[in-house]
Amino acid sequence: MAEHTVASFDEDLRQISRLINDMGDLAASMVGASARALLETDNALAQRVVSDDAIMDARQRELDDRAITLIAKRQPMADDLRHVVGSIRMAGDLERIGDLAKNIAKRVGSVGVSAAPRDLTHSIDSMAQLVLIQVQAVIQEYTVGDATALAKLRNDDERIDVKYTSVFRELLTYMMEDPRNITACTHLLFCAKNLERIGDHVTNIAENAYYVLTGTQLPANRPKQDEMSAPAA
Amino acid sequence: MKPMLSTDLNAPDTTVEKAKIEVKNLNFYYGQSKALKDINLSLPERSVTAFIGPSGCGKSTLLRVLNRIYELYPKQSAEGQVLLDGKNILDRSQDLNLLRTKIGMVFQKPTPFPMSIYENIAFGVRLYEKISKAEMDSRVEQALKRAALWNEVKDKLNASGLSLSGGQQQRLCIARTVAVKPEVILLDEPASALDPLSTAKIEELIDELQADYTIVIVTHNMQQAARVSRQTAFMYLGELVEFDRTEKIFTSPREKRTQDYITGRFG
Repeated sequence: MAEHTVASFDEDLRQISRLINDMGDLAASMVGASARALLETDNALAQRVVSDDAIMDARQRELDDRAITLIAKRQPMADDLRHVVGSIRMAGDLERIGDLAKNIAKRVGSVGVSAAPRDLTHSIDSMAQLVLIQVQAVIQEYTVGDATALAKLRNDDERIDVKYTSVFRELLTYMMEDPRNITACTHLLFCAKNLERIGDHVTNIAENAYYVLTGTQLPANRPKQDEMSAPAA
Repeated sequence: MKPMLSTDLNAPDTTVEKAKIEVKNLNFYYGQSKALKDINLSLPERSVTAFIGPSGCGKSTLLRVLNRIYELYPKQSAEGQVLLDGKNILDRSQDLNLLRTKIGMVFQKPTPFPMSIYENIAFGVRLYEKISKAEMDSRVEQALKRAALWNEVKDKLNASGLSLSGGQQQRLCIARTVAVKPEVILLDEPASALDPLSTAKIEELIDELQADYTIVIVTHNMQQAARVSRQTAFMYLGELVEFDRTEKIFTSPREKRTQDYITGRFG
């Protein structure tokens, strides 16, 4: 893409891109750390995720300020306009991912002190890995401008939904087997739901990024088989 | 490729509208130099069409062909067809006076006649119609109301048109155009010499006038084109590069040249 006649316009846009990248990196690190803290009962790591969320919020506010100032000053058009508006929306989703990771981190203490068997957390672990890969990929594909990869990534959320359904069933089984598991499993269920929601935010980001890059919207419907979504919502 | 309104899924334009003006294979020359190259374009009735593009792209030239005002100057010639309601206005047999009552024009700089506000409007009407004083009074009032100027000048209709502010003068020119009951109004940078408040009044006026008139506006102000028009034509070096619904042009144009121009990456 050619440079703007007004060079400072390019710099303003670059700063917004940089913030989206920072927020994307931070979101991935928070999701990874919160999952690890949960699986390893690492309270210090959980605490770091909680404090990282404040940084995430500050980044989002900075991005909002910059985007609104840019619109007021430059009146962006076409791909520039899509870039700025898309960034505001993506930042909103990234900030929510941060909140959900923080919520997982806050549950570490509660799950840890109860007598939850190790294998309770095994399915959560593999679900967290799936989610983490999605979070890392979405900003990366946006940065390199690969719209096709973004469309695929959006559809891949299906795998997280399927995984969530199986985690839900598994945790239900543990709870029925031994009521002493209920406290830990309920917390883990919330964690799984949070991971599933993070996947949904990644989907939103992929859709936004696709629109920013192409100027066209992805079709409204994507394959969805979250059969447990009603009881688990 | 012949530019046409987009029909893809992301920009559905299901309304089939009657074309007020159809430009077909239009070429235009300033002496030997070709200023418009094979322009094909259809302007729907009762809506606003904007022409945008860098200086020298041919947008004002195209506007000036639409009422043959270019013929006031020597060595300028047009080839092709411009159909107004299906009739070619470039035809030799076209009565120019009649044409210009049907297609009015407002210029960049306000051009009031050095006469009273009342006479500024009555003068043009008198050229084409013989009407009573009472009818003329009514016609002047209607035109000034239509141009949202009546409340500001109703108590000083005998004052000189030149005593008005720039924005008022421009609205007086629009009133003058409207008074002869045209079908099409051509606006050549109508607000570029005006302050933001006067510009807003002109834009509000354009919005109201499109209910009754087919409006074509040339503007360098892209936000203005985005605000007032329903379809936008982007021109470059005498060619029509892209013609589409305005929101499509300003959010996701098809052509790279359009994109570069409207985002400020040109040249």
